[in-house]
Amino acid sequence: MSHSHSPAPASNLKMGLPIPNSKLGMWLFLGTEIMFFTAFIGSYIVLRLGSQGWPTDTEVTHIKVFWGGLNTFVLILSSYFVVIAHESMSLKDFDKARKFLTLTFVLGIVFMGIKGYEYYGKFDHDILPGRIPENNRQAGMKAVRELDAILDKTGIAQMRIELASPDVTPERSAELNAAVATLADFETDVKGFRKNVVEDRFDLNTKTGYERMEHSLEELKTKHPDRTSSVHHPQVILYGNIFASCYFLMTGFHAIHVIVGLILFGLVLKQGANLDETWTDWVENSGLYWHFVDLVWIFLFPLLYIV
Amino acid sequence: MAYRDTAHHEHEHHEVKYVYIFIALCVFTGLSILVDALHGLPYAAKVVGVLAVAAAKASCVMLWFMHLKFEGNWKFILLAPTTILAIGLPIALMPDVAVNYYIKDVPQVDDYEQAMAHAPGGHSAPESSEDHPPNTEQPAPEKSH
Repeated sequence: MSHSHSPAPASNLKMGLPIPNSKLGMWLFLGTEIMFFTAFIGSYIVLRLGSQGWPTDTEVTHIKVFWGGLNTFVLILSSYFVVIAHESMSLKDFDKARKFLTLTFVLGIVFMGIKGYEYYGKFDHDILPGRIPENNRQAGMKAVRELDAILDKTGIAQMRIELASPDVTPERSAELNAAVATLADFETDVKGFRKNVVEDRFDLNTKTGYERMEHSLEELKTKHPDRTSSVHHPQVILYGNIFASCYFLMTGFHAIHVIVGLILFGLVLKQGANLDETWTDWVENSGLYWHFVDLVWIFLFPLLYIV
Repeated sequence: MAYRDTAHHEHEHHEVKYVYIFIALCVFTGLSILVDALHGLPYAAKVVGVLAVAAAKASCVMLWFMHLKFEGNWKFILLAPTTILAIGLPIALMPDVAVNYYIKDVPQVDDYEQAMAHAPGGHSAPESSEDHPPNTEQPAPEKSH
């Protein structure tokens, strides 16, 4: 630009705010981020208070208070390390800054690891939006759908079609008959269970009816353990789907923010021994962002894990 | 940019023992878990307790870790709109919370309450030929609330 070659004005006039543009930008961005998460948290509060019930039993929802608490500690510790890193950058102690940024990065990974473990529990027990039965009949139908899917995968229906074909060779026929024979028992049990649920022979609108269905399913699973290992316990969770939606929406977006933070710190760490004062603003702004991520978790932890 | 150096020096002049803030945050986290563990506590007291602790933790992070305590008055101008909007949003949603116009007669509530009323119906037992016999001696399943 042409004016860059002209001598600097001697005036003490300062335009704008007394902070670097990047820091101003970060704070404006954080302002929008506050709105972003306020919308989620506000919706969660409305949905929760507007519902007659809410799953709060951690045994049922597979919410791990200890691991959530540990993750809170991990983020707080990482926030503390970022502050130390930024202070070291200001004091031009870049080795110390790099050390603490590395620790922050590691703690971010630890946070994601614990989050992954918690998510694994949710996926393993099928605590997922749209997949949770909210009454006994839905629980029975879910078990039927899962069993039907397993039965379909065995290919028994296709084998029967092939057996009925006039072109099948005697060798192939014997092979298919043997395969069908091994599956016939499982097929009978699945069909029996399906019939009892679909025709409501268990009387699923009653507690004892639910217990009958549950016992029947357990018996079937005990009889065919290898085939039915993926069938979930038909746990009824009233308002479980909206709970799971809120949980995954809020913790998921938070986790995305953690990943972005890791990228920001990763870019600094990539400088290695070349880290110098030109990165001070970057570390400060990334630090502000990271503290915000910590701040969100400070509210998500009590709202989702304790209340 | 002359103000850049000013901003950095500003921080260096404030000797903050960040480790104390960190310890305070850890104590607050422990307090949250303690409130959760107190079984005799009324639910409302628990909610207010953990949210108050969360607010205290958030204040610590914003004031010291994010340096807002030491920043100039620009922080008020910059954060006022978002703060007003963030407070305004829950207030705008308040009618939803307070009026609570949701229909109470949703099917799953009816079904669930009926099921919980443990009233065995007059339905036929499952077929014994290919199905499993009913066993009412099984322990009651753990149900959600």
